[in-house]
Amino acid sequence: MSEWPAAAVDYVQAITDTKLVLGHRYAQWSLAGPSLEDDIGGSSAAQEEVGHVRQLFRKLESQGRDGDWLRGDRDPEEFANASCLDAIDGDWTAYMATIAPVDRAAWYMLDAIDREDMEGMITKMGEDEYFHLEYHDARLETLAAEDPETLQSTLEETIPSALALVGPEGLDDDPLVDAGFTNQSVADVRERFIDHYRDLFAETDVSLEGVDWDAPDADAWDETRRRVGEGGVRAEDLVQIRGERNAEFAIE
Amino acid sequence: MTGTTKYAVFGRRNEGDDTLHLGTVSAHSDRLAKTYAYNTYDEEDWNYLAVVREEDLLEVEHGNVRREVPQ
Repeated sequence: MSEWPAAAVDYVQAITDTKLVLGHRYAQWSLAGPSLEDDIGGSSAAQEEVGHVRQLFRKLESQGRDGDWLRGDRDPEEFANASCLDAIDGDWTAYMATIAPVDRAAWYMLDAIDREDMEGMITKMGEDEYFHLEYHDARLETLAAEDPETLQSTLEETIPSALALVGPEGLDDDPLVDAGFTNQSVADVRERFIDHYRDLFAETDVSLEGVDWDAPDADAWDETRRRVGEGGVRAEDLVQIRGERNAEFAIE
Repeated sequence: MTGTTKYAVFGRRNEGDDTLHLGTVSAHSDRLAKTYAYNTYDEEDWNYLAVVREEDLLEVEHGNVRREVPQ
């Protein structure tokens, strides 16, 4: 495999870390849904996200990233996951309003990659993501009718976080497009993402007028972690991600 | 779950096979029912998968014209 630009490695790392934490969030909430069907959907998504992570780890290892470091031998501040996944402290509505925009943003970023040697992998992931995103949107539609206040207030926090994962607006040029690594610029992906959520909630009781659609502030944006500000997953999440409690059963 | 509709789920393994009744899901919307069906009945790589609202199933009723025969 040819060498990627450094910015491309960070870009794929952020997608991967977001999927890694997303997979754990799906798993943590997979028995807490309001119906068995929701639980099955969450469990299925957890399995698929972790499968995507395994594939992406291989790509990152081929670019020089250390396998143990990728699998969790690092501090929370070294994970480049979307910031809103650091912790989900609300109820099930808040959970859905957190994972949905992040999963969509991560997919749009993956879909923007224009590499022949990743085409098959990304196409297969797209088959899984089709049902993740359909499920999220269908669920967000029902929650917009059942619990619009919680949904709206959570989206005001999580959509800017997802936009920070994608990247800030107003960049004069996109180095990943210039390098031929992606064929959709950050501006293109942002527009696709923003249009989707404006359309989804247009006819509902949820107003997105309070969302900061201009986020993140480019001057405050951490381009490695693709977020604004500090923070990271909690210590107990790291124990789970690393599989520390079951390390003695690891197959070498 | 409240305010839900029950859907019958149908699947076909290969083109030309019979379409089988796989079971049911309950959902708040048609869109949600389709994703529930996909995730719940994923034991096969279905060639065709569909949901039908149970209220839209038309029962084929038994009858007996003999009752209408004048005595």
